[in-house]
Amino acid sequence: MRLKLISCEVLFREMCDACAHSPHQVDLEFLPKGLHDLGGKPMAAKIQEAVDRTPEGVYEAILLGYGLCGNGLDGLTARHTRLVLPRAHDCIALLMGSPERYQAYCEQNPGAYYRSTGWLERGKGLQQLTHDTIGFDQPLESMIRKYGEDNGRYLYEEMTRYRSQYGKLTFIETGLEAGGGFIAEAAAEARECGWIFERLPGDLAWLRRLVDGDWAESEFVVAGPGQRIAASYDSGVVKVEA
Amino acid sequence: MPELDKLHEAVIEGDWKAASAATQAAIAAGVAPLTIVGGYLVPAMDEVGRRFDCEEYYVPEMLLSARAMKAAMEIVRPLLAATGAEPVGRVVIGTVKGDLHDIGKNLVASMLEGGGFEVIDLGADVAPERFVEAAAARHAGLVALSALLTVTMGSMKTTIDAFQAAGLREKVKIMVGGAPLTRQYADAIGADGYTDSAGGAVALARRLVAA
Repeated sequence: MRLKLISCEVLFREMCDACAHSPHQVDLEFLPKGLHDLGGKPMAAKIQEAVDRTPEGVYEAILLGYGLCGNGLDGLTARHTRLVLPRAHDCIALLMGSPERYQAYCEQNPGAYYRSTGWLERGKGLQQLTHDTIGFDQPLESMIRKYGEDNGRYLYEEMTRYRSQYGKLTFIETGLEAGGGFIAEAAAEARECGWIFERLPGDLAWLRRLVDGDWAESEFVVAGPGQRIAASYDSGVVKVEA
Repeated sequence: MPELDKLHEAVIEGDWKAASAATQAAIAAGVAPLTIVGGYLVPAMDEVGRRFDCEEYYVPEMLLSARAMKAAMEIVRPLLAATGAEPVGRVVIGTVKGDLHDIGKNLVASMLEGGGFEVIDLGADVAPERFVEAAAARHAGLVALSALLTVTMGSMKTTIDAFQAAGLREKVKIMVGGAPLTRQYADAIGADGYTDSAGGAVALARRLVAA
């Protein structure tokens, strides 16, 4: 099969590795990680643009290297070529290898911050593309510059307080780290924040099944031409609508 | 009265010092605490909500307005309590279990307080039974649940189910909100109300307590 993969760059190494091992010919297109920060609808619009510029009649399917991603895939419509999306909440679930494992880990560790190679080398902040007036993840200095000393400090405190409730930094290790640099960097970040550091073995089998064409109904949604992907708000995470 | 116009403006502009000073001056001039809240703070926060809805204001501007409103409320609250005035309603608010995100929840809490509600803020990562206990203990008629992650949205249903199991579901109205939510989801889990903005939350809360 010839397949097209449109993926978030946060999965760059994992997807490249999976495609290299796929029995199929997979053409790759990576989109910026910062799409996540635009919010559900604008993110979906950007991914739809990438779907829409895929030529007709070339590919058996367009694979989406995403999860539901805060409703960033909700409403995505298949045009001439079917779309395949893992039933994942987000990239962390994909890196962990199953929704059940992710759900269980989240429940046991609500205060965990996640890192992977992509999360380290593709920009740590969540705010790549958002308009700067929104102000999340801005350093204290720029808050003060914009809102004055008193209000700037207040805003910085208000907008970063949630971080003080995090207690753990979990690095998902996939074996694609190429040297100890990534792990050392994540460990240093945990130390700086005073958080516990955990190295969690990742599992790329789910992600590989995406590019291998092994799309079991329980793990993937497949939207045929004209159909739409939608959040299902149940254990299936996403569903297909006519 | 010029002090009161200043208060209205200070809240909209997010100037807490000016809001505090204008409130002091108004009290000194004999303005009733209820007038300050109902006539000035509530309309000012409504205007802030409107500006947010039309993307004239973003989260930081709203937080600063909320801060100014709170500075005024600090002065007015004890006076209101002394008059025996009842709040518009009593609301228990929190981010659901598993979710530590609190910025949106804090904004809604501030907007509700500015809208004349008594707000009992349970914080983030709040277990269903804590919502139930707090609503029962404080006789709150309204419960507001927040979630920012699709992976934690399920805790909203668990929380609503906990009210049902405790036999309190008919005694409270439950409103839900947060970036990944939709009206459809709110309906599916049996919430009484949903809104997609902090400003809208006040109007919704008023409707729910009046119903």
